[in-house]
Amino acid sequence: MNDLLNDPAVLGGVAPLAVGLVLAAALVRVRLAGLAAAGAFLTAAYLMGSLSLWPPTATRKFMLLAVIAPALGVIVDFAFKPNRAAGMLLGALFAVASVWVFWSVLVQRPMGEAIALGGGVAVFVLWLIAFTMALRADALRTGAIGLALGLGTGIGAILGATALFGLLGTALAAGSGGFLLVAMIYGKRAAGGATLALSVSVISALIAAGALVLANTPWWSLALLALIPLAARLPVPEHAPAWLQAIVVSLYTLAVAAAYCVLAWKFAA
Amino acid sequence: MKRIAVALVAIALPFAAFAAPESFTIDPFHSHPHFQVKHLDFMYMTGRFDKMSGKIVMDTAAKSGTVELAIETGSVNTGDHEKGPRSRSRDEHLKTADFFNVAEFPRMTFKGAAARWTGEWPAAIEGQLTLLGATRPVTLTVENWKCGPDPRTQGKRYMCGGNASGAIKRSEFGMKFGIPNLSDEIRLMIGIEAFRDQ
Repeated sequence: MNDLLNDPAVLGGVAPLAVGLVLAAALVRVRLAGLAAAGAFLTAAYLMGSLSLWPPTATRKFMLLAVIAPALGVIVDFAFKPNRAAGMLLGALFAVASVWVFWSVLVQRPMGEAIALGGGVAVFVLWLIAFTMALRADALRTGAIGLALGLGTGIGAILGATALFGLLGTALAAGSGGFLLVAMIYGKRAAGGATLALSVSVISALIAAGALVLANTPWWSLALLALIPLAARLPVPEHAPAWLQAIVVSLYTLAVAAAYCVLAWKFAA
Repeated sequence: MKRIAVALVAIALPFAAFAAPESFTIDPFHSHPHFQVKHLDFMYMTGRFDKMSGKIVMDTAAKSGTVELAIETGSVNTGDHEKGPRSRSRDEHLKTADFFNVAEFPRMTFKGAAARWTGEWPAAIEGQLTLLGATRPVTLTVENWKCGPDPRTQGKRYMCGGNASGAIKRSEFGMKFGIPNLSDEIRLMIGIEAFRDQ
């Protein structure tokens, strides 16, 4: 059993996919299926032994935000009626938090470099959250964003940064995939909401930012990943069944993620 | 009588020198911490850190002493530093957040005190190793410790040196990646030479 749970394919794929599917299917009727992505991610983090909070390293602060994001998403979904500014507001909140996550690294860099790096990460986090939150009412598009961002940041991290971040990224993709599969069946009745949008955008943004700050992946990697929420806005056949819409929008987002992975591979090689 | 007194003082001087705590600075060119990790449960792989600095304070009369070491984690060297067709070399991977997380923790430190003496030299050091932001107790066994004049300087410079060894569980410091294929237990072997401060 231990050998099985140490297998990277199980850690970053099979186990989080199973958790994502079960969570999405079990919670779809109470409009909490959006917890699938964060649940899958946190399962992988737990199995990899990364789910501790002390000492407060950048990775552990990241884990804290990965718990806070879906919790905040649930609150937004059930306690508020968020308007257009909510995405920007939450994006700004997590942008500041992302600087806090990487503060211990930034303070060791020269002032100019630290400002550019911290500022760049903050803008990226704000962008990703704001544009993903804008699509929170569309479960298929939000799920497709999570799938592509998870795979893109995950494979990119494996190629150019850390295997740990890589597996966490693929786990997020697996959880988002689990949600998408359930959403294909339930169609518009499957709500991802702010719970799913905040989870996938915050977690994937911090994986990509972590690869940049901790492993010096190229800055353009963030710029390319930032296109994924835009790709998810491309038109899909409106009257097509949910499963077909999900496939089409996933193809859009995965195309950008694939381009990013190819460039990451070329840069690494 | 005066000559006898001068002679006695001259004979006693080297011993008098040990009567008070003496400070030594690590020779960075001949002092390296090595480590061994068991790979796939088959064999022990060895690596080292190329850069280490530190201070030793010893009082052999009082049988007390302290040591402070600072090791640059970015100087990790396992002999695999060219990535070739791979996406990265092993040394590059060791510097990432999977292992030493050099960007966030560029240094690990050991602060300890001589806990046991054999004759006039320290035999064991008990201290605290700080790695990846976590501090845990570590005991090092000291072997071959000796002090004497540096033969390269015709005795003008005084030095001490020896080997210290111990073991840690890396998971206790939060370094869990690759366990059990890369063993949790890490053997430490630190070779130290240090010059007495003037």
